[in-house]
Amino acid sequence: MSTATATRRTEDGVEAPARRKLTPLRLLLHGFLITVALTWLFPIAWAVLTSLRSYEYTAANGYASFGGWTLDNYVTAWRTAEFGKHFLNSVYITVPAVLLTLFLASCVAFVIARFSWKLNLVLLGVFTAANLLPQQALLIPLFRLFTEVPLPEFMSDSELLYDSYWGLILINVAFQCGFCVFVLSNYMKALPRDLYEAAMVDGASIWRQYWQVTMPLCRPALAALATLEVTWIYNEFFWATVLMRTGDKFPVTSSLNNLRGEFFTDNNLVSAGSVLVAIPTLVIFFMLQRHFVRGLTLGASKG
Amino acid sequence: MSRPRSQAEYLARLVPPSVAGINRRSLLAGAAGTGALLGTGLLAGCGDDSGGSDSKEVSLGSNQSDAKPKDVLAKVTDGFKTSSGVQVAVNTVDHNTFQENINNYLQGKPDDVFTWFAGYRMRFFAQKGLASDVSDVWGKLSGYSDAFKKASTGDDGKQYFVPASYYPWAVFYRKSVWQQYGYQTPKTLDDFTTLAGQMKKDGLTPIAFADKDGWPAMGTFDILNLRINGYQFHVDLMAGKEAWTSDKVKKIFDTWAGLLPLHQPDSLGRTWQEAAQSLQQKKSGMYLLGLFVGQQFSNEEQNDLDFFTFPEIDPVIGAKALDAPIDGYMMARKPKNEDNARKLLEYFGGKAAADITVKNDPATLVANTGADVSGYTALQKKAAEVVGSATEIAQFLDRDTRPDFASTVIIPALQQFIKDPKDIGGLTSSIENQKKSIFTD
Repeated sequence: MSTATATRRTEDGVEAPARRKLTPLRLLLHGFLITVALTWLFPIAWAVLTSLRSYEYTAANGYASFGGWTLDNYVTAWRTAEFGKHFLNSVYITVPAVLLTLFLASCVAFVIARFSWKLNLVLLGVFTAANLLPQQALLIPLFRLFTEVPLPEFMSDSELLYDSYWGLILINVAFQCGFCVFVLSNYMKALPRDLYEAAMVDGASIWRQYWQVTMPLCRPALAALATLEVTWIYNEFFWATVLMRTGDKFPVTSSLNNLRGEFFTDNNLVSAGSVLVAIPTLVIFFMLQRHFVRGLTLGASKG
Repeated sequence: MSRPRSQAEYLARLVPPSVAGINRRSLLAGAAGTGALLGTGLLAGCGDDSGGSDSKEVSLGSNQSDAKPKDVLAKVTDGFKTSSGVQVAVNTVDHNTFQENINNYLQGKPDDVFTWFAGYRMRFFAQKGLASDVSDVWGKLSGYSDAFKKASTGDDGKQYFVPASYYPWAVFYRKSVWQQYGYQTPKTLDDFTTLAGQMKKDGLTPIAFADKDGWPAMGTFDILNLRINGYQFHVDLMAGKEAWTSDKVKKIFDTWAGLLPLHQPDSLGRTWQEAAQSLQQKKSGMYLLGLFVGQQFSNEEQNDLDFFTFPEIDPVIGAKALDAPIDGYMMARKPKNEDNARKLLEYFGGKAAADITVKNDPATLVANTGADVSGYTALQKKAAEVVGSATEIAQFLDRDTRPDFASTVIIPALQQFIKDPKDIGGLTSSIENQKKSIFTD
């Protein structure tokens, strides 16, 4: 990301030199950058490559060979793991969870940034500290809790928070709020105070100051967080497997396990499945990429 | 228990009884009082629950997530529906997740019937009261050997498990390779060692081996234990009753250390599939593994696959015991539809279900000996024969002992042994110390 902004700045520069001289140091830099880029891309490229080959061929000739091209893995993966259904499950969990997280976190962040109360710092500290807590440590109490909390049947056929989308959404919101509050409050603190004074003079209520003054200004930060949160919640795997009981309700990341056999695992098939599962996060990232970079750097330079 | 079935009912339930009573009184003239009204309301709710959905339904938690077994299970449950009119709601969770979550699953809201394993793993949950006694189902079953019944029985002498299928562990090889070099099936450990030495001379890796995932080496340990010390010692050792520092255990490791140079080296970085690959590519001579090794072979090559049971080490003990893990079904504690659950278990254990399985899945060995097995391949027939003639059937190390002991103590210990086979004394005393802290109750 830093390299991207760096080059853009030179491109946009007022007196851009016709062409940089190719010094040995520069060659070295580019060599280094290319190596790093390739190292990062290698695992993904390898997975894509593997996913396009038949298991029989790679089993007979090894992965270092060349050939056995096929698209069958994708078709089989989609069918055996029932990705269609599970992608939808992921949507049911991810979309409400991200929206709710951002809304709740922005509310807290607004209060922390806008008002100076004694407990502000403590509040922020609590929210941030919760991030450091290993989630797995809470497994047993949360599991017990979830099996005790009843839900009406029209909300979940398990009639419990356990094995319901509501429970998973709740868990994700709870665990993601801390980080979002931290980022958003820092971002909001950077907004000029005069805005609020002006708003108050115009008679805007606190709600209005939050919803119509602060939130629109936070759009880059919200977009950046939305990208991150979608990726994180979508990728969340642990709670989904622990707090769900019905295989048909698992999100897509957990259903990836369906491609692993009891003993036998077709690695090419798993690669194809993984590529399919990774696509939505890539799409989200490229869609919101512009905001993503801006959101993070804006907060950083002003904070 | 009564739960609202619609949003309106749910909201209605939130209304305090004092207020609700007035409404109901006006609706239901002649009823005695608010309390009684609420009481009948609750009862009516219960009646709805059990009457509406329960009588013709039963739920089944299944770990059969592989395409083929999943399909076969669907056919079997269809068969059950035709014969009994009860619909089975199958909840399939992939094998690994199911296994890792079993504790949570059984303590939460499990399905009426669920897939599980025989042996200690079954007894563990039976003893904890998380599974129901199915002795009455066993009273109606036939076609099972005593070894299978023993493997389905809990510590209290009651049955908690209905076996469905199993697979033996044995030494697999390719017939074509053995014909090419003129190898003979070894009868004793000496024969076995000589044969392996000959394979080495012929440029083959004698014994394919892999232990990256930790469990394949348990197979080697088990079979050596069964051959050197016998079945009862295996059971007692796994139950934590025998000392790992005893000479009997040391002898297992000593024998293994002698065989280790004949195994494929660097096994800790290899999965069983890669080891099976070397067998399939005719680079290795033989491989001690479960029958599932065939999954690494293409359909044509499967006919070339054969096996023998691990040779005798001690003539007193013989070579009749083996690892043959049994998969089957159990009933949860307090199942929602208990009658149907029992009916389903009886069907699973019966001949009809076994026949459907044999017809549709050529890779499974069914537990019921009454089943029509004319569809078996030569390999399956031989496997069924070997297991049928076995005097004792062990369930495999990690199924015969506490799961935490198997995964946190034995896996690292065996991997340590493979890395450094010399320090057997240190290794066994370390296992013994850890065992004491795990087997406390």
